[in-house]
Amino acid sequence: MKAKNIGRSLAGWFEERLGLSAVMNFLRKKTVPLNKHTIWSYTGSAILLFFGVQVVTGIMLAFYYKPILEEANKSVARIMTEVPLGWIIRSVHFWSASAMIVTVFIHLFSIWMIKSYRKPRELTWMSGVLLLVVSLVFGFTGYLLPWDDLSLSATKVGTDIPRSIPIVGEWVTKFLRGGEDVTGDTLSRFFSFHISVLPLVLLLILAVHIYLIQKQGMSLPLSAEAGKEKQKELPFWPNFVYREVIVWLVLFGALITVAVFLPPSLGKAADLMAPAPKGIKPEWYFLFLFQTLKLFPGKILFINGDTIAVFLIVAAVVLFFFLPFLDNKPDRIKGKVITWLAWATIAYAIGMSVWSLLT
Amino acid sequence: MKIKHSLFTRREFLNGLLGGWLGALAATLLYPVIKFVFPPYREPDRVNLVFSDYQDMAPGAIKPFAWGAKPGYIKKKEDGSYLAFVGVCTHLDCTVSYKADQKKFYCACHDGWYDEYGKNIAGPPPKPLRRLHAEVEGENLVVKKEGVA
Repeated sequence: MKAKNIGRSLAGWFEERLGLSAVMNFLRKKTVPLNKHTIWSYTGSAILLFFGVQVVTGIMLAFYYKPILEEANKSVARIMTEVPLGWIIRSVHFWSASAMIVTVFIHLFSIWMIKSYRKPRELTWMSGVLLLVVSLVFGFTGYLLPWDDLSLSATKVGTDIPRSIPIVGEWVTKFLRGGEDVTGDTLSRFFSFHISVLPLVLLLILAVHIYLIQKQGMSLPLSAEAGKEKQKELPFWPNFVYREVIVWLVLFGALITVAVFLPPSLGKAADLMAPAPKGIKPEWYFLFLFQTLKLFPGKILFINGDTIAVFLIVAAVVLFFFLPFLDNKPDRIKGKVITWLAWATIAYAIGMSVWSLLT
Repeated sequence: MKIKHSLFTRREFLNGLLGGWLGALAATLLYPVIKFVFPPYREPDRVNLVFSDYQDMAPGAIKPFAWGAKPGYIKKKEDGSYLAFVGVCTHLDCTVSYKADQKKFYCACHDGWYDEYGKNIAGPPPKPLRRLHAEVEGENLVVKKEGVA
């Protein structure tokens, strides 16, 4: 086996210089607690899978996409019709975006309910909330890029919302749009956010997030921490990784299947002068916010209704960000109430989304 | 474990199986990526030019046209028939220019020279300029690949 020997000495050469075996040794020692909550440990790597798919397909789409007013819609049409397998690459990018958001929400709510954010993991949770926000902004900026009438209207509405924030609102809207109105400049700006600013920000926060998880190890459920039950463990390498690979393959297969049978449509190119089409709706993950905003009347007492709505949403996000500090007595009645709040939030989001879809 | 007369152990067999399967999986993922990255390019079968634009050329004169995405040149021969070239240097793909005063094609990238019939006469070009077939068909001057009827 000569090739094997060459491989070994090459590996040795790099090992002498890089010392990567420290990482391997760490992973060999790492364990994953085995209990009824273990299934939620797979959600993190599932997000990574979908993010990886987004990176690869996104780079590919950028080869042909042109972020210019006259060309954007045409170039997406060209990807869908002329570029070899272009339609499926766009379809995978489209579906993987939604799948990533779904898994992010599952990941987050599972952690909320198991209360894995307990001391010392507050920063892991907070970095996770930031990652959620970045993921949603990814979705919002990506939605404009095909430049059809739906995406144009959604962006007009979305970038107008900050306007109701006092003092800075006007400035935020102008910054997002690159001027007073949504124009070709907005398109270039969103493209720049979508393919360079957001990826860099996401990778940076993700690095912190993953570092914290490795540093602190996997959390144990409350019941186990109290020493009521003996914990079983699974070695991370190779046992858990092999299981993750199986989950990846299943998810990837499902993604490709959906992408092949349900490719996204492309409306006709947006006309800046045309009136908004009927029944515009944002992407599904913004529906509950969209519906919430609709509920607020134009004026409450002397204050603009939208201002109050936006204020409430911002307050909710801030509370959410600091959740580990609010949930500081997890085994008391307060902790139980906060767990029920998770269910209430899910019920609210689903209820509002369904309502929005039906109306 | 190795069965008698077997060339490999059970572990080697299983590793080969898993590795082969992973390789096949990687290939199926890579195939669409590679397909996607190379857009289809089709050279035009024929380009129809308006004959009246080229009718008044003096014998021996040369005029540019577009051969798909590539630059081309039309030459009116002394006998009144037409000839066309792809105006791309055969050395390293630069676009050549026609020097009417010297009756030569010139490539500025590496000082390549071709005569008025596209033959490489000086500098690095290894081959003559690619020739195309040009003939008048009614109101059109039609340019085709050489050898295509």
